[in-house]
Amino acid sequence: MLLELAAIKKSFNGVCALEDGNLAVQAGEVHLLLGENGAGKSTLMKIAAGMHQPDAGEIRWQGRPVRLRRPAEAASIGVAMVHQESLLAPHLTVAENIFLGREPLKGALLDRRRMERESAALLGEHRFPLQAQWRVERLSPAQKQLVEICRAIHNASSLLIFDEPTSSLSQEETGEVFRIVRTLRERGMGVIYITHRMEELRAVGDRVTILRDGRTVATGDLADFSTEQMIRYMVGREVPTLYERTPLEPGTELLRVELPNASFRVHAGEMVGLAGLMGAGRTELCRVLFGLDPAGDGEVCVEGRPVRIHSPRDAVAAGLAFLTEDRQQTGLALRLPIRTNVTLTYLASLTRAGFLHSRWEARPARALMERLRVRAASIEQWAGRLSGGNQQKIVLAKWLFRQARVFLFDEPTRGIDVAAKAEVFALMDELAHNGAAILMVSSELPELLQVADRILVMRGGRIIKELARPTTQEEVMRYAAVGE
Amino acid sequence: MLQRLLPFLSLIALFVGLSIASPHFLTGINLSSVARQTAVINIMALGMTLVIVAGGIDLSVGAILAFAGFMGTRAMESGLPIAAGMLVGLAAGFFWGLANGLLTVRLRIAPFIVTLGTLGIIRGLTLVYSGGLPVVGLPRGFSFLGEGTLLKLPVVLYLLVLCALVTHIILQYTKLGRYAYAIGSNREAAVYSGIPVGFHTVAVYAISGMLTGLAGMIEASRLMTGQPTAGQGYELQVIAAVVIGGGSLSGGEGSVVGTLIGAFIMGLLANGCDLLGISPYIQQAVIGAVIILAVTFDQLRKRRFEKA
Ligand SMILES: Nc1ncnc2c1ncn2[C@@H]1O[C@H](COP(=O)(O)OP(=O)(O)OP(=O)(O)O)[C@@H](O)[C@H]1O
Ligand SMILES: [Mg+2]
Repeated sequence: MLLELAAIKKSFNGVCALEDGNLAVQAGEVHLLLGENGAGKSTLMKIAAGMHQPDAGEIRWQGRPVRLRRPAEAASIGVAMVHQESLLAPHLTVAENIFLGREPLKGALLDRRRMERESAALLGEHRFPLQAQWRVERLSPAQKQLVEICRAIHNASSLLIFDEPTSSLSQEETGEVFRIVRTLRERGMGVIYITHRMEELRAVGDRVTILRDGRTVATGDLADFSTEQMIRYMVGREVPTLYERTPLEPGTELLRVELPNASFRVHAGEMVGLAGLMGAGRTELCRVLFGLDPAGDGEVCVEGRPVRIHSPRDAVAAGLAFLTEDRQQTGLALRLPIRTNVTLTYLASLTRAGFLHSRWEARPARALMERLRVRAASIEQWAGRLSGGNQQKIVLAKWLFRQARVFLFDEPTRGIDVAAKAEVFALMDELAHNGAAILMVSSELPELLQVADRILVMRGGRIIKELARPTTQEEVMRYAAVGE
Repeated sequence: MLQRLLPFLSLIALFVGLSIASPHFLTGINLSSVARQTAVINIMALGMTLVIVAGGIDLSVGAILAFAGFMGTRAMESGLPIAAGMLVGLAAGFFWGLANGLLTVRLRIAPFIVTLGTLGIIRGLTLVYSGGLPVVGLPRGFSFLGEGTLLKLPVVLYLLVLCALVTHIILQYTKLGRYAYAIGSNREAAVYSGIPVGFHTVAVYAISGMLTGLAGMIEASRLMTGQPTAGQGYELQVIAAVVIGGGSLSGGEGSVVGTLIGAFIMGLLANGCDLLGISPYIQQAVIGAVIILAVTFDQLRKRRFEKA
């Protein structure tokens, strides 16, 4: 055994995150770690990477008990981790981040040239669309994820932990991550892989461990488990993974976009998908519509009226909502309670004569939290102390509370577990039934194909094709990758 | 939990300790003098709480206090009634708060830099305008503000309670307060939520400026002069009061109750040193140490969060 975690316990400020965490990974295997949002996966892995100290339990490395007091100690035995939330230094370049903590020296000075050369080689080898000298703060979440991956493969020598590495990656990069994982396995390294994308499991996994409410409830060869079985272990009940949506009769036109590079309409009750490769301009289009970037020539109409949107304020006033893909940077106030985050977009509905009614506030926050199965101590818990998937649910709740007419969803289900995902789609369906228009970006193409009425394919910053239902992954990918 | 209560417990401990250590502490005269002394810093600290919660900082409050006090008393000296002079003082404070807010928002410069600049500008202007000479010969009734009593309690205490109440309500029960927390906690997320971030940032500085203007008038009334050099170094005491009370210099945290406690801790420390005959030199050192201690707790709390 390479690494064994036995009966690990961990609580934060009296709230239990891990009750009985067990996991054993061998050299030369890919070990999947599954569980609902907040089950304790990231916590267990952070303990293995020396970032948290367990309250009880034992860590064994190659059979011998060890204590990992600092990430540096874990790194010294060859353990590295791709973190769920970006832990990069935003003001440094891609190369500097890849080498952070292990900078090559030339005498007493940094060997910058070598850092950039080797980083560029690494990026090139995996065909990641990044430049070594770019500053990290400008990168999209997906690009940051790629930098994290490069940094981890550069640092790991015996065990690599991937905590949802593909949550914002599209198919191409996901495929490359699979190739990386297989190469590491062939080199005899151990890999632990966390994901909520059920279709990825069989592509990479050898063995699996499942956590529920902080306890390891199952472990074994992946081949011995059916997907339904694994979900039952995770959730404790049956959950449909295939989500079928019956399209509605489109109502009045709510959003009409006539821009040089994008021209389309979305009607009430419609759910339109926006597909494309990394950097195809999907997020940029949403940003323009929401007034974050200048629109240039062209016209945008909401509910038939032309609107001038120069800021998010204008956009919200016009009836738009924009769920951004980066929950930590642009989505949540991490050091404020869940309640405050949920109601922030629509305080007007909770004020009377200028005063906030805190009692009115609690009810919708609590209702949305229950509906989305948020695992939290209470609505007063700081948003930043939730697990990644639960944070994502709060961002969703925040915009659902706004009751907008037109929703722009950028990767709304990023990091959300199977059970909650079904609930998210049901909620979106309700929005559509209540007459909202939805434009949804998702890198998870199968998901997009399941829920979208139509798919707009973007490539090189413009919408090049509109595909009606029924369409296939192959067709979408052909337009996204090749054009025609 | 203990961390939240710590400032309050220290205040109680200080109070009890001083009652035992000095027979002169628990007397009406002494306590009302503490209240008067603390009120000025305290009222400024209320405004600063808003600013710090919203992720800002204002280093120019000491200068604003002097400017407002000077302008208000100059107005009275030139024959305006006391109430009008007071309004002039408040307006002068409001004006500089507004200016600070607009400069940070419009020029997108860090508030630390902006207010470091305005600190110099305001001090300079006050000195130029006054020629360095204080305003004297104020109407006798003006001393009622700083030194008068109402139902046996100092007038400033009523003012302090009123200001604290209003600030508390703003912070906890209005959109402005809620947005201040949101902006201070994650400015970008606030922008993306469609919040008018610029407007609310300016508002917070302006309110703080106005409260500082009021404090300036109180200070002038206590001395019965308009001192152009008043309030030197007050900004640090004010910031310290907010931080001791749980405010976080990285924004998003702070409360009126905490700030009141923080300001009273500082006030009691100064008073205690006086009563116990500790030299003012050591007094400075003690207060400095308390500030570091408080910031240490601020850091500890944050580190705890980052580990999470
Ligand atoms: N620093 C913290 N302070 C308080 N609670 C925490 C902290 N970190 C994690 N938790 C709690 O511990 C539990 C487990 O969190 P963890 O991040 O391990 O979940 P996870 O399985 O990785 O979930 P996800 O799939 O959403 O990433 C959650 O309920 C979370 O609220
Ligand atoms: Mg996690």
